[in-house]
Amino acid sequence: MSKQYLTAHTVDQAHPTEIFSLAPTPTSLFSASGSSALRIHTTTDPTFPLQQTIPNAHKLGCHHVCTARGGAGHVAATVGFGGEIKVWTCKDKDGNVGGEWTLQWETTPSSNGGKNAATNAPGRGRSVGGDVWAIALSTDEGFLACTTSDGRIHVWDLAGRECIQTYETGGSSGGGSFAMAVDLSRDGRLTASGHESGAVYVFNNDAGRLVYSLSGLAKPIRAVAFSPGGKLLAAAGNAGIIALYSVDHGEHVGNTKPSSDRPAWITSLDWNYTGDYLLSGALDGRVKVWDPTRGICLATHSETDGALWSVRWLPRNERALAPGMSKGEMFCAAGASRSISFYREATGS
Amino acid sequence: MPLPSSKRRQKPVASPKSQIQGSAHTRVLRRRQRLPHSPHIPAPSSLVSIPPQDSYDGALSQIESLLESILDAVINGTDLVIPYQTVRPSPGVPPVVSLEGGARQMTTEVVKFPGRNIQEVKRFDAIFRILELSHEALLTGNLITKRNIYYQNTELFRSQSVVDDMVDNLAFTLGVGRGDLNIVAAARGLIAGPIDVMMRGGATVQYGHGLSGGNGNLIPPINSVDKVDFHNTRWLLVIEKEATFRTLANSGYSSTSRAGHGILVTAKGFPDLATRRFLSTLHSVRPQLNVFALVDFDPHGVSILRTYQYGSQRLDHEENVTLPHLKWLGIRSSDIMSRSSIIMSHSLQDSQSGDSQTSQEFASQGSLAYSFGGSDDERPAKRPKSNYPRDSNESVAPLTLDDRKKAVSVMKQICGEKGFESAGLEQMQELQRMLMLNVKAEIQTVDNFGDITDWLDERLSV
Repeated sequence: MSKQYLTAHTVDQAHPTEIFSLAPTPTSLFSASGSSALRIHTTTDPTFPLQQTIPNAHKLGCHHVCTARGGAGHVAATVGFGGEIKVWTCKDKDGNVGGEWTLQWETTPSSNGGKNAATNAPGRGRSVGGDVWAIALSTDEGFLACTTSDGRIHVWDLAGRECIQTYETGGSSGGGSFAMAVDLSRDGRLTASGHESGAVYVFNNDAGRLVYSLSGLAKPIRAVAFSPGGKLLAAAGNAGIIALYSVDHGEHVGNTKPSSDRPAWITSLDWNYTGDYLLSGALDGRVKVWDPTRGICLATHSETDGALWSVRWLPRNERALAPGMSKGEMFCAAGASRSISFYREATGS
Repeated sequence: MPLPSSKRRQKPVASPKSQIQGSAHTRVLRRRQRLPHSPHIPAPSSLVSIPPQDSYDGALSQIESLLESILDAVINGTDLVIPYQTVRPSPGVPPVVSLEGGARQMTTEVVKFPGRNIQEVKRFDAIFRILELSHEALLTGNLITKRNIYYQNTELFRSQSVVDDMVDNLAFTLGVGRGDLNIVAAARGLIAGPIDVMMRGGATVQYGHGLSGGNGNLIPPINSVDKVDFHNTRWLLVIEKEATFRTLANSGYSSTSRAGHGILVTAKGFPDLATRRFLSTLHSVRPQLNVFALVDFDPHGVSILRTYQYGSQRLDHEENVTLPHLKWLGIRSSDIMSRSSIIMSHSLQDSQSGDSQTSQEFASQGSLAYSFGGSDDERPAKRPKSNYPRDSNESVAPLTLDDRKKAVSVMKQICGEKGFESAGLEQMQELQRMLMLNVKAEIQTVDNFGDITDWLDERLSV
């Protein structure tokens, strides 16, 4: 059995330079690119109109944007190439939702180091720690996990605006492998990180310790994602295949066969809201839908031959986008083409 | 003792003013004769004159008035003073701060004799010695190398870098370029190509088609070059790596390229002032020559490219050393991505066979054994060209922590500029891509068993 997805709409030239990251809320989609502005498109209208542009958000460009998976969609976080984290909200001062997204607060952990920097020896006279790279928001939008280029994972309390937990993956001298990907489980109990060395670590946030050290792909990991039920963890990267791990036992339960002898690097992974399907995007411009339980690739789309940097499911909507359209699930993809492509499930399949 | 001898002090006074005026006069005459050959009206012939470096008189008169003031001080019995500004950021201040602020660290001070301590006395002596040597070089019209200055009194200068810093600081203080003091760095850059260079002394150097001798051809100090015969050269390629330069020069690429005759240049990494001034002058007298750069795909490669284009931070006071028209030939992210496994699976056949239904399965229960069998027939279509048989993925390496920091600092530099030129935007996008991919690659990535000429032929033909 296969599923059919159709191109619902393409927002051409959504950004002036290539798009590095996408993050949906229930009603909109954030996109971040090599240029300084963030863009927010409405996803409840079949033409996906531009809702808001946040100019000069990140001077050197923005490589990651995240929202809470399965969350209310009132908070978003972004990381710029300069190493700065910015947290945005659509709540006003009285806590009312709606209206424009505004900056809530920002921090540059590599320069002020947050809470943990003070306890760290200055080292070789450089700024403490590496620059921030990947980020993930907890479902309740209260915590932010971020990775660094020297292999650390920080967990921030957004209400208190402080770093409450730091996981070191290197030796006592620091210097862990570049943490290229991070995710938080929906219940907020676990943090997973994917590293340049090919390692995948799972940490328990309550106990503040390492639970599993998972191996299997040996090549740099560019995406990690907990399933919505929290039973499975998917990881992928330069190996070009997706590895699945059981979260309960830390077992490697399977991985995809490569599509060729040299599969393209996978840059992005996302589970749909039921956990039935897994979406992947790769540098060869292909977005694929997988059935993880049966181990089958259900659909492949390659609208662009440019690299894809980010693929995301849109949260399920009860209403169809337009009369005559199905209520089927939708996903989106973006990358070097600078456009955002939206796909929807074909009716009657 | 560091006290200048009376003999030394005589020199600036003894030098007759008429001599200076005389030389200036003849220089003006020579300049007038050259007017028809000015860069705006290109001469029909391939023979181009190099205009003499200006502000010759400026530096000389400044040094003379400085020496005179010192002499006056000796006569009046007051302190001897040499103004001396430092261009280099002080060690305590990280360079990033000065980058962000866009402000150059500048400490204004004077060096006195007698000094407050023995160090200052030694410093005074050293600076005075450099001034004296520069003065003599300016009067005689000879060039003196920084290496030569150091060997004049190794005990006094202690190390070569002390001389290097002092010369740059002195030039900065006097508001002139290093070359205006007739002080040059020992040549580091190499050149090869079918051009003739006529020196002011009357000698002609033919750079020929390959390398003469094992050391290659050193780039001459531009001040001593009178004319250059470009013959029918159409392009100039600046190469970061000496090894690549030597391979190309030895194979005679400057004459055998399908893009026509050309000139090969390397400065062996970060370019020195002499090489940059040489290239800048060459481009100003021969604007129709296309200039290209071939650097590694890493933050240092981009930084080297930018040093050629816009100069360096430390030697910002130097003039005529930039090459903003330098085009970035490679290597770029597209060069890597098109031939490494990053996108290798994107075969024509595969995309025609269309969507979905390829039933790729999760291997069962932790098995890591991949099945390659089914994909064999796809392989020929995957190669972009049959002449790239090597898996160049091997020459792609992950970025180090320092590489990533360097990339961000270069990006900040690009962003700090007024007006974000298209060249800056291009560099910005490549650096972002580099950081996203987390890979770097050397020039050798694009070659074909050490033969880079096909790749170059394609790109040099404009």
